[in-house]
Order: sequence, then C-alpha cells, then structure tokens
Amino acid sequence: MAVFMDLNITYTTDKKRLRSVIETAAHLGYSTVAINYVVDLQQKKQEIGKPKCVLELFDTFPIVQGKSRPIKVLNRLTVVASDPSHFRPNAEYKAYDLVAVYPKTEKLFHAACMTFDVDIICVAVTEKQPFFFKRSPVNGAIERGVFFEISYTPAIRDSTMRRYTIANAISLMETCKGKNVIVTSGAEKPLELRGPYDIANLVLLFGLSEGDGKAAISTNCRAVHLHGETRKTALGIVHTMKKDQPLTERQEEEHVPVSKRAKIETV
Amino acid sequence: MVRLKSRYLLCEVCVSDRSNLLLLDDRAIYTAAKAAVARAHGDYGAALSSLGFSVKYLNAHTGIVFLRCRKSHYRLIWSALPFITSLENRGQRVPCFLNCLHVGGTIRTCQKFLVRYNTQQLHRMLPLCQSEGMRWSQIYFLLLFCTLLLFHCLS
Repeated sequence: MAVFMDLNITYTTDKKRLRSVIETAAHLGYSTVAINYVVDLQQKKQEIGKPKCVLELFDTFPIVQGKSRPIKVLNRLTVVASDPSHFRPNAEYKAYDLVAVYPKTEKLFHAACMTFDVDIICVAVTEKQPFFFKRSPVNGAIERGVFFEISYTPAIRDSTMRRYTIANAISLMETCKGKNVIVTSGAEKPLELRGPYDIANLVLLFGLSEGDGKAAISTNCRAVHLHGETRKTALGIVHTMKKDQPLTERQEEEHVPVSKRAKIETV
Repeated sequence: MVRLKSRYLLCEVCVSDRSNLLLLDDRAIYTAAKAAVARAHGDYGAALSSLGFSVKYLNAHTGIVFLRCRKSHYRLIWSALPFITSLENRGQRVPCFLNCLHVGGTIRTCQKFLVRYNTQQLHRMLPLCQSEGMRWSQIYFLLLFCTLLLFHCLS
C-alpha cells in the first residue's frame, strides 16, 4: 500500500468545514494533506500572511484508513502571478512547507520552470490555456525537480470545466511524456474529495499510463514534499533549527534526515 | 472454454449525513452510474454500460455497493464513477460520492477484502468509543451483518 497524498485543500476560514475535509481525506486513505493558501497579488495589495498553525485545527489528528499513523497536515502557498515582479521569495515563504506558482503568461511559465524557487507549477484547469507548452521549459523543469499539478475538482463540479481540464492535461502530457506530474483535488467541501484509486483511474483519461497514474498520487507527491523540505535546508545536507533559549550565537545542527541518507551517499 | 469474465467493483457510498444512507436502494445507484457514464463517455459509454452492468448488492447501513461489469471495459465505467455527485431516490436528492475500495474477479475475493477492511475500520473506531460499549457491539453486529448477507448473496 503506497503512501497517498493530497496536496491541495483550499483554505477556508470555516474551521468546521476544513476539519471535516481533513477527516474525509483520512477516511479515504490519504496519509498527508496540504492546506493551500492562494494569494493573487494583482488584486489590491494582498499581504502574504502567515499560515495558521495546524495544531489549532485538531487536538488529535484522525488516523488514516488502513494505517496506524495520524494524518499529516502541511501548509502550502500558491501565488497567482501574471508579472515576474509578483514573485519575490522572502522570509514569509519560509513559513510554508510547499510553494506553488500559477503562471498566467508564457514568459512567466518559462521563468517559473527555469529559475523560480518553487516546488509546484499549477496548470490551468478552469480556463483554456492561453499559451502552449513548449518542450524546453518543461524539460528544464523536469531536470530541476519541479512538478506540474493538475487539479480535478473543477471537473467534478462543472461540465465545461471538465473539457478544459482534459484538454489542458492532455496537452501537458504530450510535452512532458507523463513525468513529474501530480494530481490533486482543490476540495472546498468534503464531498468533493475522491479516493486515491479512483483518481489513479481517472488520470487514464488524461493520457497517463497506469504506472504513471499511480505515481502521480503517491511517489511524485512524496518527491514534492521532500523538495519542499530541502528548500529550508542548505543543499539538503544541513538543517538549521532555532533554539528556544536566547544564545549569543546561533548554533547550527548537523541533522541528516533518514529519507535523504541515500541521496547523500550517491553524491 | 469460453467464459464470460467480469469484474466486481467494491465501492463505498460516502455521505455527510449518515441517516440519509438508509434511503438508498440499488436502482438509484444503477441510474446514477449509467447517467454518469453516458455524460462522460457519450453514446459509446451508454452502450457499454448496458452490457452486463448491474448492481449486485447494496448494504444501506454501511454503504457498501457491489457493481458488476464486463472485464473488457470495466476501466471505462470505473473512470466515470468519480463524476457522480449525488444520488436520487424517489424525488429526494442525496449528495454523496462513491469511493472504490477494491476490484475483484469474483464476489468471493471482494468479500475477503471486505472482511479485512471491516476489521481495519473496527480498529480505527475502537479507540473512539471506549466509554460506549453499546456502540462497539453495534459495529460488531454490522460486521456480522455484512458477511452473513454476502453468503446469502453467493448462494
């Protein structure tokens, strides 16, 4: 049984709804979820606030169906950008576990694939893609370890969205050959989530093969999570932690996470 | 020897309000699934779903459904199931979704999976109702209910 993750649960201020969405996700078998804070910098000066502490939501996290561990909840930021100046990595971004960008123009898509310090690039599902995917930025993104995200909830809500989703997804698959793709929900209500095996089957419609489909919700999502963690460290080797007591100089701890041990050995 | 092979999709109907579950019957699920396949795959899908597609078993208390389809195109029907958003029964609309748990070749294999799944559910729910011994016994009863009804279905 692989580890399934759902990396896009829209943040709502209604705590009860958010709680029921996470409980449903645990019931369906997702081991990790990420609460998504969407920031659109074009509309009136929006501040990138700090993410809410996950411990506020639950006293004890619900146990995942089929496993004995409680569900893990991450924080994720999505920046809707139509201008390169909108995306400025600063200290606020560090508070989030995952950073995603939603490019609206071709130039920005190219920049996001090649240079931006993000984990996920969102592919438009609610509208016809205004630009085409070109091989060079997509291949550059695959080499860097950036993933493309397709969200399936708009397809469930509305029939026209379904057409856009499938069209955009297929054009992405043609360019990237099924690599580095993750599929997430954009759930706002608990009834909009779907089980992992259902999604693995749904992506057959998008043109992914069976193995790629299963990877899209398990191994690729795990890779995104690790990519987000390494953003906080220095080259993935050194992990700094701020100590609570006041010190004269900041101490750096050499902390090698078990999951990265294999990578270091090859390097 | 020519043998018509089929696939049994073991699904769970998830609703937000458990009391609504009792209203469902297999005809509602059958019509909803057919409509979803027709919407997603058009006339081709509607034609395929008329061949050997049926709801074999429905347990209204736990929300477990068995769908039977032909092996040659069970994937097509399965890919349309996530698009079901609600079930209609006698004029009442219940918002829900189908969560596919297991695909098996025979009812027996699905039943084996169901027993394992139910024991897992029991382990999940047991810590939550330490104080309510009666709820624990109710869950145990549901487990027996599931397996007994399936044996009835097999024979």
